Amino acid sequence: MTVSPLQPGWGRAVDADTDEVLVLDRVGVEFRVEDNRISAVTDVSLRIDRGEIFGLVGESGCGKSTLALAIMGLLPSTATVTGRIAFQGRDLIGLGEREFRALRGDRMSMVFQDPLTSLDPTYGIGDQVAETIRAHRDAARPAARERALELLREVGISAAEQRYDEPPHRFSGGMRQRVVVATALANEPALLIADEPTTALDVTIQAQIIELIRALREHHGTTVVLITHDLGVIAQVCDRVGVMYAGQLVEIAPVAQIFAAPRHPYTQALIAALPTSGQARGSLRVIEGQVPELSAPPAGCRFSPRCPVRREECDRVPPVAIAARGHAIACWNDPATRTTAEATVMASGVTK
Amino acid sequence: MTAPSLAAARPRASLVRRLVRRVGGWEALVGIVIVAVLVTLAVLAPLVAPHDPEAIDSARILGRPDLGHPFGSDALGRDVLTRVLFAYRVSLSVALGSVALAFAVGAPIGLVAGFRGGWVDGLLMRPIDLLLALPALLLAVALIAIVGPGALVALVAIAVIYLPIIARLVRSAVLVVKAQPYVDGARAHGASEPSIMLRHVLPNSLGPALVQATVLTGFAIQIEAALSFLGLGAQPPTASLGIMLNEGRDVLTLAPWVEIFPGLALAITVLGFNLVGDGLRRRLDPRGMAR
Amino acid sequence: MSPRFGYLVRRLLLTIPVLLAMSVFVFLMIRLVPGDPVRTMLGFRATDENVATIRAALGLDRPLADQYLAWLGALLHGDLGQDFVSKAPLTTLLSQRLPVTLELTILAMAVALIVGLPLGVLAATRGRWTGRLTSGFVVAAISVPDFWLGIMLVLLFAGTFHLLPPSGYKPLVGDPVANLRYMILPVLTLASGEAAYILRTTRGAMDSTLGSPFILFLRAKGLSEREITFRHALRNAAVPIVTVVGIQFGVLLGGAIVVESLFALPGVGRLIVTAVNQRNYPVVQAGVLVVAALFILVNLLTDLVYGVLDPRLAEGGET
Repeated sequence: MTVSPLQPGWGRAVDADTDEVLVLDRVGVEFRVEDNRISAVTDVSLRIDRGEIFGLVGESGCGKSTLALAIMGLLPSTATVTGRIAFQGRDLIGLGEREFRALRGDRMSMVFQDPLTSLDPTYGIGDQVAETIRAHRDAARPAARERALELLREVGISAAEQRYDEPPHRFSGGMRQRVVVATALANEPALLIADEPTTALDVTIQAQIIELIRALREHHGTTVVLITHDLGVIAQVCDRVGVMYAGQLVEIAPVAQIFAAPRHPYTQALIAALPTSGQARGSLRVIEGQVPELSAPPAGCRFSPRCPVRREECDRVPPVAIAARGHAIACWNDPATRTTAEATVMASGVTK
Repeated sequence: MTAPSLAAARPRASLVRRLVRRVGGWEALVGIVIVAVLVTLAVLAPLVAPHDPEAIDSARILGRPDLGHPFGSDALGRDVLTRVLFAYRVSLSVALGSVALAFAVGAPIGLVAGFRGGWVDGLLMRPIDLLLALPALLLAVALIAIVGPGALVALVAIAVIYLPIIARLVRSAVLVVKAQPYVDGARAHGASEPSIMLRHVLPNSLGPALVQATVLTGFAIQIEAALSFLGLGAQPPTASLGIMLNEGRDVLTLAPWVEIFPGLALAITVLGFNLVGDGLRRRLDPRGMAR
Repeated sequence: MSPRFGYLVRRLLLTIPVLLAMSVFVFLMIRLVPGDPVRTMLGFRATDENVATIRAALGLDRPLADQYLAWLGALLHGDLGQDFVSKAPLTTLLSQRLPVTLELTILAMAVALIVGLPLGVLAATRGRWTGRLTSGFVVAAISVPDFWLGIMLVLLFAGTFHLLPPSGYKPLVGDPVANLRYMILPVLTLASGEAAYILRTTRGAMDSTLGSPFILFLRAKGLSEREITFRHALRNAAVPIVTVVGIQFGVLLGGAIVVESLFALPGVGRLIVTAVNQRNYPVVQAGVLVVAALFILVNLLTDLVYGVLDPRLAEGGET
């Protein structure tokens, strides 16, 4: 594990000695809404290793945020989570609230989309960072304050000392997001889930936050799950990418391959739809059709109603097959599926 | 092949369920029933009342409630139920009248102030805000002090109390509606400012104010009763629930029913209006602009 | 803290025009009476001589502006005028009566807060059924007219059980125990409707705050529900709650008028009502002036408290 230079006396939690930080096995999330059941996430399996920056991409409503909340245990009581979620070898589903609370903000953290509403408007930013520290470490106020100051400086808040007590509304969106990141990192978590961290920010600030995330992985070895609908962000900083559609995970691949050689029809359509600078004038490529209603989804592959290469088998959920090294795909069309001897669903992390 | 349609998946809600949802909940339905019954009783009082409200019956002084006189009899032997029904008409008329008056005057003020903005807004809303600087009942008492007591005066006084509330609500709603794209659209079509104000802005701005008006009616009944109780509202021989409540104190321990029933009638009425108001709020104004 | 200080000063300065405007209104009251206020006031004692004397004494024969300035001048010196019927100086009269009203109102608000706040927080943070039950209870409590409730309480505690006196008053300073005995029923009467209102407001404000996005982030930080409720949610919900408390103080002052009359408490409210019934205009004026000024000052205090609670408001920002 990397040793942080800002260490002394922090009683650092001992991380389980395993390379697999996060393992999801056939995870599903179902909501009960007024006699209806909405399956927001279905059958998602993946494995994320230490130090990876894993991108989770998909359009709005595809279930990526729900999945993130499920991992963090922050879903409301109307939600039921099935399957297995293992964090550093430890089962999260069914974990008691108290133990979960001990993990949240300490070993695993989450950053949300809108920095303008993530912070408590009635407290100073410094206190909000320090609060996370004191919630999980046995630290006296002055010590926590020192540490909070360090963190604020590290994320790039200039004049941290003077601005420590200022309330959030005195800061711009980008600055607030940095404060949020500082809060999330206060206790050096093993896992950081960032849910659309740059969507509400403009492009220049976006780049800065992305840089920040990259620096985190370098200096602290933090594993990051970066959730976004922006393929551009994925291209800049992720190692591997998972593509979700209507609650299902359809493809996982190293980032270069996702862009160069996407195999799933949905991913292919997504990449094709990206406007390029060399593009001739004309209409943008779109994907025909609409995302299915999650209260009554199609049986089988959920993309099938819109899929250009739909076949008969698509009425059944396609198994996950390993197409190439590090590249998994869930599609009946893919040659990998046909050549897989046993079409069983498995955790799709592949040995590197 | 498209995904199966949603309508087929969800069972059709029963008629009762849909009705309940339309009025904003079970409580609101109860409220509507209460108000409807009470208003009908008030209107039909002369036909429905079992006795003559003024009929003095010395044999039945402070008589206990029984089948012939479900609410008992007061110190002069008069039937309490009948008197409650008649007093009801007065209380209800004053309450409804005052809210209507407050609306009739306050809504246009709020509309114009919000729509025109600028100095018109300032000019109109300053006095309105000043009215809010006094506690409500105090203002009413002060007004009655000037003109002298009476049911009509009470009506106007309550209207004056509510005027600023309605005006401000309409004004805030107008400010929101004014900024909507369809207003600009109307302008682009060449509609005149007054016509925009009346045809587009006004109908869409009345929601929160109407919700509040329902609740205010309930409280208006309470205020009228309080004023009459103090001798500042309806004057004898006009009957009023407040007066009855005051008279009931004299015989409280001997004949508590003289005090209890008019009070209960009052409470249930206000309850009805409050329930309806809450339900309306849930339907028309879920974000709570009408606070 | 500097912008906050500016806010405080601005708010203080804003109060002055409001007080002035209110004083003009009160001043005009007696002049707006239809007919001759002095004759109405004196009633059967209205001989031409008396009328002339009183008119001169009240300054009604001088130009309006002069009258106002004279009146205002006297006011600022602490002179509220004289009761022309009894010749008693009004300042003395009101300074005797005001503490009673204050005691009643403050105690009622205190009781209402002690009951309403915790129950409101509870209703917001526990399950659905607590929520529905409290809603029902709240609507019922608000609907009951407070003076009727007071009479019922008298029936119960004084009439039936003879535990407490039905009316009357003993000053706090001399005999606190007796004072409390007389004040319990009036305070309870006034406080019950108020408690329900505060409960509802607290619950609404807490519900609203607990639905805010930053609460989710606090959970993600691993804070306990208790910390979130009390350190964060309550503080954010405080602003709407404080707003309501400020406004409700005015409602309580109005309610005090009725409750004082009901329980024969020698407060300003009862003074005003009696004076209105007697057409004793100077007393009405003085009473209304004092109560209105009190209300305006309470509102000022409320606004000042906001500035402390929510830094955004102090700087003229949006919530």
